[in-house]
Amino acid sequence: MVGPQYDLVGNPLGAVRSTFERAAAESGGHEPVAAFRGKDWGATEVFRSFLFELGGLDKVPVLDESNLGLIKPNTLVRFRGMVQDMLGNEFYVGAFKDGSTWRTNKFSDSSPFSMPHPCDSHLWERHLFHCVPVPGQNSWTRESSPGPDLRRMASCLTSEQREKRKRGADNDAMDVSESGSGETSSSSKKTKDDGVQISNSSVEMSMNEEHVLEMNGGDHHIPGSPFSCLVKVYDMPESQVKLNDVSEFIGVYTFDPELAAPSDNSDDIMFDLMEDVTAQLPPSKVPRLHCLVWRNLSAHDFLPRPPAVEPSAILLRGIRQSLLSHLTLVLGKDELAAQCLLLHLLSRLRNKVDVVTVGRLSLNFTGFNRESVSIFGNQLNNLFQRLLPYSQVIPLSIEYLNTATLQPRKDNQSGRLVTGVLQLPQGTHLTFDETLLQSGSLTSKGVENTMLLKNLMESQKVEYDFEFYKLEMATDVQLLTLSEGKSNILPSDLIVPFRPSSVPAVNASSEELESCRWYLATVRSLPQSTETDTYQMIQDEMVNAMRDDRSLGCSELSRWLTMAQIMAASFGEKSLSMEHWQMVKELERLRKERLQ
Amino acid sequence: MASRGSGGGGDGNSPPPSVSSPDVRPSSPLPATNSSPPQSGRRGGGRRRRGSASPYPSSPSLGGFETPPHPGRRTPSGGAAAAAARQQRQNWTGGRFPPTPSTPMSTDDVPLSSEAGDEDTPETDGGGGGGAGADATPVFVWGTNISVQDVNAAILRFLRHFRDPRDAGRVDPVMDEGKYMRAIHRILELEGGESLDVNAHDVFDHDPDLYGKMVRYPLEVLAIFDIVLMDLVARIEPLFEKHIQTRIYNLKSSVCLRNLNPSDIEKMVSIKGMIIRCSSVIPELKEAVFRCLVCGFYSEPVMVDRGRVTEPHICQKEQCKATNSMTLVHNRCRFADKQIIKLQETPDEIPEGGTPHTVSVLMHDKLVDAGKPGDRVEITGIYRAMSIRVGPTQRTVKSIFKKTDKSRLHVEDSMETDNPNANKTTEDDFLRDKVEKLKELSKLPDIYDRLTRSLAPNIWELDDVKRGLLCQLFGGNALRLPSGASFRGDINILLVGDPGTSKSQLLQYMHKLSPRGIYTSGRGSSAVGLTAYVTKDPETGETVLESGALVLSDKGVCCIDEFDKMSDNARSMLHEVMEQQTVSIAKAGIIASLNARTSVLACANPTESRYNPRLSVIDNIHLPPTLLSRFDLIYLILDKADEQTDRRLAKHIVSLHFENPNIEELEVLDLPTLVAYISYARKHIQPQLSDEAAEELTRGYVEMRKRGNSPGSRKKVITATARQIESLIRLSEALARMRFSEVVEVRDVVEAFRLLEVAMQQSATDHATGTIDMDLIMTGISASERQRRDNLVAATRNLVMEKMQLGGPSVRMIELLEEIRKQSSMEVHLHDLRGALGTLMTEGAVVIHGDSVKRV
Repeated sequence: MVGPQYDLVGNPLGAVRSTFERAAAESGGHEPVAAFRGKDWGATEVFRSFLFELGGLDKVPVLDESNLGLIKPNTLVRFRGMVQDMLGNEFYVGAFKDGSTWRTNKFSDSSPFSMPHPCDSHLWERHLFHCVPVPGQNSWTRESSPGPDLRRMASCLTSEQREKRKRGADNDAMDVSESGSGETSSSSKKTKDDGVQISNSSVEMSMNEEHVLEMNGGDHHIPGSPFSCLVKVYDMPESQVKLNDVSEFIGVYTFDPELAAPSDNSDDIMFDLMEDVTAQLPPSKVPRLHCLVWRNLSAHDFLPRPPAVEPSAILLRGIRQSLLSHLTLVLGKDELAAQCLLLHLLSRLRNKVDVVTVGRLSLNFTGFNRESVSIFGNQLNNLFQRLLPYSQVIPLSIEYLNTATLQPRKDNQSGRLVTGVLQLPQGTHLTFDETLLQSGSLTSKGVENTMLLKNLMESQKVEYDFEFYKLEMATDVQLLTLSEGKSNILPSDLIVPFRPSSVPAVNASSEELESCRWYLATVRSLPQSTETDTYQMIQDEMVNAMRDDRSLGCSELSRWLTMAQIMAASFGEKSLSMEHWQMVKELERLRKERLQ
Repeated sequence: MASRGSGGGGDGNSPPPSVSSPDVRPSSPLPATNSSPPQSGRRGGGRRRRGSASPYPSSPSLGGFETPPHPGRRTPSGGAAAAAARQQRQNWTGGRFPPTPSTPMSTDDVPLSSEAGDEDTPETDGGGGGGAGADATPVFVWGTNISVQDVNAAILRFLRHFRDPRDAGRVDPVMDEGKYMRAIHRILELEGGESLDVNAHDVFDHDPDLYGKMVRYPLEVLAIFDIVLMDLVARIEPLFEKHIQTRIYNLKSSVCLRNLNPSDIEKMVSIKGMIIRCSSVIPELKEAVFRCLVCGFYSEPVMVDRGRVTEPHICQKEQCKATNSMTLVHNRCRFADKQIIKLQETPDEIPEGGTPHTVSVLMHDKLVDAGKPGDRVEITGIYRAMSIRVGPTQRTVKSIFKKTDKSRLHVEDSMETDNPNANKTTEDDFLRDKVEKLKELSKLPDIYDRLTRSLAPNIWELDDVKRGLLCQLFGGNALRLPSGASFRGDINILLVGDPGTSKSQLLQYMHKLSPRGIYTSGRGSSAVGLTAYVTKDPETGETVLESGALVLSDKGVCCIDEFDKMSDNARSMLHEVMEQQTVSIAKAGIIASLNARTSVLACANPTESRYNPRLSVIDNIHLPPTLLSRFDLIYLILDKADEQTDRRLAKHIVSLHFENPNIEELEVLDLPTLVAYISYARKHIQPQLSDEAAEELTRGYVEMRKRGNSPGSRKKVITATARQIESLIRLSEALARMRFSEVVEVRDVVEAFRLLEVAMQQSATDHATGTIDMDLIMTGISASERQRRDNLVAATRNLVMEKMQLGGPSVRMIELLEEIRKQSSMEVHLHDLRGALGTLMTEGAVVIHGDSVKRV
C-alpha cells in the first residue's frame, strides 16, 4: 500500500469511507454494495498494514479510565480488556444510497450525511461486546503498551472538552503528590506525569481491588463501577471471541451527544422489555469503540519488547536457575517449596476429557499461620504481581465466603451478565489465604461459594448462573492455597508442607524480572511432543511405581506425569525424558518425607 | 408513510400506472374489504393481516369476494361508523396518490416495528397489489414474481383438499373432507376457536411452492391465507362472526437464535428458546378517536402509526376549524392485548465460551400469557428489526440503528402449556429427527457395549460396574397393583471400594447423566436434609415443608458419596425410601407422605479405609444388613494388585496426557446423545416380560437357590432371596429398555443373572468357603462363620465344664484363650472368645467380670 491518504489516527472514518467509495465504484453492477455484507472491502487491510507494518500502533492512544473524555471522538484508539459480557448483535444500516452514490455507516454510530428518507439501504450486523479492564491485571503489563505521550493527547483536546479534563487533572495532582518514585526517566514534565499516572493509577487500582475484595467481596468490576467499554466488532464469526478472552481492540472511538442523551421515557413500560441493553451503558461513562482490528492477547503480548531470540534451551535453563533461586529466597530458602512453586507457575490446562482435566497443578502450602502469611504471603503476592499478568489474592474467611459474590450471574431484568469474582481470564493466578478461616457457620451462600471454589479446583470450571439453568464455563486458573493444615475446602493437587529457614529476601532487578516474565510466558506456551519410546517407558515406570506402593492411584500418577511434563518444559525441552521423570520422583520423595 | 405490506404500500413505490388498477376497481374490492371490518371492529381480532389483505383489489377471481353483503350486514353497531368512515377514507385516499390507504384501512394493528423495518428495507417488503399494468394481468406481490391469484388458489386448494396421510387409513369415504376442512368445521361448531393451526409440514407436503412463498413472504401470503380462510368460513356458516386467524406452526427447519441475521428479516422463522421474562399485558392503542373541545366533532379514528398517534391539529369540521382543540376520547379508542417476552437460547445451543442470546418477542391477542418464564418454547413468527428509540429525538434520521427483534405474528407453541395437543405435537416434532437417530442407534447390535463404553469413558475398566450403573439409569418398570401394593422399578446400587478407584468420579458422572440427579455427601447430609424437613417461614410464621435431596431427586438418581460416614440416624431414613419409595413426615402439624421414587447410588469406603479381604462385606462396610439388602447390586471395587490392570491404568493416564485421541477412541456416544437416549427410553419404553424370559427367570432363580444345597456343602446356604428375583426382573427390564425393546427377552434375563452374579461374587462371596452366601448380606454373618462360632461356643463350654468348678475361683480370659488354642486347631482371637463366652453367659453358664470368668 502507498502511504495512506488520510490521517488514519485522526480521521479513521475518512479512510473507511474513501476505501468504501472506491470499492463500490469498482464493483459496479446493479447492487454494488450487496457483496460487502459481512465482508471487508479493504478498509481494515489499510489499517492493519498501517498498524502492524508501518509501526502505527505506537501512535494510537490507549483508551482507559484516565483519558476518557480527553480523546476526541471519531479518532483511532486502542483498548485492552476482557470480554465480560456478550450483548448479542445489532443491525445497522450498513450502506445506503445517497442520490447516486453509496455511503456506508460501518464503523460509526451515525452517518455524517443525512439519509434520504426513502432510500435503498442494506442492513448489516455487528457484534457487541462489553469489555472491562482485566480483573487482577498487574501493573507491569500496562507499561508495555504506552500510548503516545500527553502532548499528543493535549493536541487532541478541543476547547469544549477542557472542562472535562478537570477530572483528569485532579487525578494527576493526586498522583503526583503520592508518587515518590516515578518509573519513567523522561525529562519532560508532562510525560513524566503521564507515566506516573499510568503506573500509579494501576497500582492504586490493584490496591483498591484488594481493598474492595476484603470489604465487600470484590464486585470490583461490576457494571457501572470503574470503567468499561462497549466494543462493536464487525465481520467476525462470533465464535472467534469467547467470554473472558483478553483482547486488544483497535478502532474508532465515537461519542455522539445526541445518542448519549438519556432516554426519558423510562416510564414507558411497553418498551421496557424491548429496550436495548446498551441503554444502561451511558456513552459518557462507557465509551463506544467501533473495532477495526482486534487480536487476542497472550501473556507474551504484555512483554515490553518482543524478544527476537528463539527460546533456546540454554537460555531458558539460565533463566530457570535464576528464577528458582529467586523463588527460593522469597520462600525463606525452602528449595523444595520453590521447585513446586515453579512447576505450579508453569502449569496450564492442556486437555480436558469430560470431568478430567490434564495439566493443571494446584498447589497447597501448609504450615502457615497468620504471622507467617503476613511475611511470606505478602512477599509471594508481590512476586506474583510482578511476574504474572493477572493475579489476585482471595482471603478465605467465613465472612468472605458468606458475603462475596463469586459466581457470575445473568440478570435477566437488565439482560446483563453481572460479574463475580470467579469471572476470570484464562491464565489468572489466584492465591487463597486460608489462614483467616476460623470455625463458624456458613450460610447457604457460603456453601454455594465453597462448592464453586471446589468445583474450580477439581475441574477448572465455573458455573455461571443463568437463573433458569447453570452454564459451565471452562477456565484455566492457577490456584495456590496457603493454609495451616491440608485444606479440605480447596483440595489441591499438590500439598507441600512449607519449611522456611530464613526470612524472605527479595533482590530481583527489573531486568531479571523481565526475563523471568518472558521465561514464564514462553515456557507455558511451549508445544509438547512425546516420542513413543518415552510413552512406553513411562508406562513401565508407572507400573513399577504401583507395584511398590499400592496406595498410588490414578490421580497421583496423573499428577506425576503432569509434573514431569512441566519439568521438561521448564528446561526448555520439547519432549519429556527419563531424566525429568526421575527429578519429579525425587521431588515427590522429598515431599512425602515432609508429609510424614 | 411507511410502505406497509399492502396494496397501497406498493403503490407508493411503484410508478403511477400501477395506481390505476386499485383506482379503477375499488368498487369491487371495497365491498370485499368491508367483509372484514366486522371482525376488525372487534378488539384484537388479529386483523393485522388484513392490511396486507388489500392485495385483493386484484383478486376478483376469488369467490369469496362476491359474498360481501352478508358480512356487511353483520357489522356490529360500534363498528358501523368506523366501517363507513373507512370506506370514505379509502375513497379519499385512493384519490390521493400517497400510499396511506392501506395502512389506515386495515393494518390497524400492524406492529409498529414493521413499518420501521419496511422503511429501510423496501426491497423486502412486499406491498400486495401493486400489480402493474392492465386489468387482466395477474397481480404480483410487489417486488416479486408471486402472483396473488396463484397463491390464493393454492391456499384454497390446500385448505380444501389437504388430507393427512396419517389419516388415510381411517378416513371413511363418506367423511371425505380434508384435514383442515374438518378443523374449520370443528371451530365453527365450538364457536370458540379464534385460530386455525396449520402445520407447515402439511403445507409443504401438499404444495412445496406455497410453503416456500409463505416462508419468504409471510406478510403477504398469510394475509391471503386469512382472506381465503374467512371466505371459506363465510360460505359454510354465513352467520359466523368471529375472525379466524391462521397460525402456522412447525416449520420445516428452525433457526438457532444466534444465527438470525439481517437476511432473515421479514421472513417467517421458527426459533426455540426459553422464556426468561414476560411483560405484563399491555393494552395497545390501535385506533384513537379525538373530539374537538370546541364543537364536539368526533374525528374519524386515527390509526396508530409506529407507536405514535398523529393528533389532528385542526378540527376537521368545516365550520369549526379550531386549532389545537382535539382531545383523546378514551372509551372510543380501540385497544388490543400485547405482551412482550424475552426469549433466550437454551443451554444446549450455546457454543463453548459464549453467552446466550436473547430476542424480544411480541405476542398478540390470544398468545398473550401463552408461556411463562422458564418455559421452553418453539416460536414461529416473522422476524423484524426495530429501530432503537434513542432519546427524545428518536424517529428522526438517527433511528438508523436496528436491533434484533422479533415481532411475532403467528403461532407460538409452548411445549409446556396446558394445551395437551400442542404439547404433544411440538414435542414430537422437536424430537422427531432425534428420535429417529436414537432408534437407529438402538438397532445397533453392539448398543449395549457402546452404551457401556459411553458411560464415563474416561474412567477406565470397571465395565461390569458401568453396566450395572447403566441399568440403574434405565431403570425397571414400577408396578402398582390394584390392591395398592407397589413394586419399585428403581435400582439401587452400592459401590464399596478402596480409595482412589474413581468411585466418586463415577458418581459425579451419574449425577450429570441422570434426569434429576442430586449429589450429596454422606458426611454433610442429615436425615432431614435427605428426606424433608419442616421449617417456619420467617415472615409469615407458617410451617413449610421443604424437600430434601431424596424427594428432590424423585424419578432420578440420588448419589450419596461417603455413605459409610453418614450418621446412623440419617441412614435409617433411607430404609423407607429405598423400598417403599416414599418419605413420611409427621411433625409440627404436618403429616405428609412424599414421593421419593429415586434410585439410590451410594458409595462407601471400607471401614479400615482399605478393603480387608479377611473380613466380611458387612464388617468392611459397617452398614446394617437391613439397609444393605435393599441394594440390588453391591459392587466391590477393589484395587487388586495385578500388573495387567496396572498397565492398562498407566496407558490410560499416559494417553490422557499426550492428547492421543485415537487411542481407545471406540465409537462412543457423546453426553447429550446419551442423556437423550436414556430419557427417551425411560419415557417411552415399558418392556414386558415375555413368557420365555419369565421361564428363564424362574429356572435361574431355582438354580440359584439350589446351589446352596449342592452336594458337598454340608451347611445350608441361602444364595438367593425373594429380593433377588425382584432385582433380576428390574435388571432385565432395564436391559430391554436399552435396546428400546418392548419385550424382555431371554438374553436380557441371562445378562441380568450375570450382572447379579458378578456383583454377588464380589460382595457376597464367603471368603472362607468361596461360595456365594446371601446370609452375608442378610445377616452379616456367613454360614461358615456361624458354624465356626457355634463350634467355638461348644469348645468353650466344654472347657469351662472341664476346667472350672461351679462357684470356683475365677479364671482370666487370657488363660482360657491359651487353653482353647491348645485344644482346637482353629485360630481363635480374644474377641472370638469373648463372643463365645457372651453366648455362654446368656445361657447362664458363666459370669464375666471384666477380664475374669466365673462359672456359676
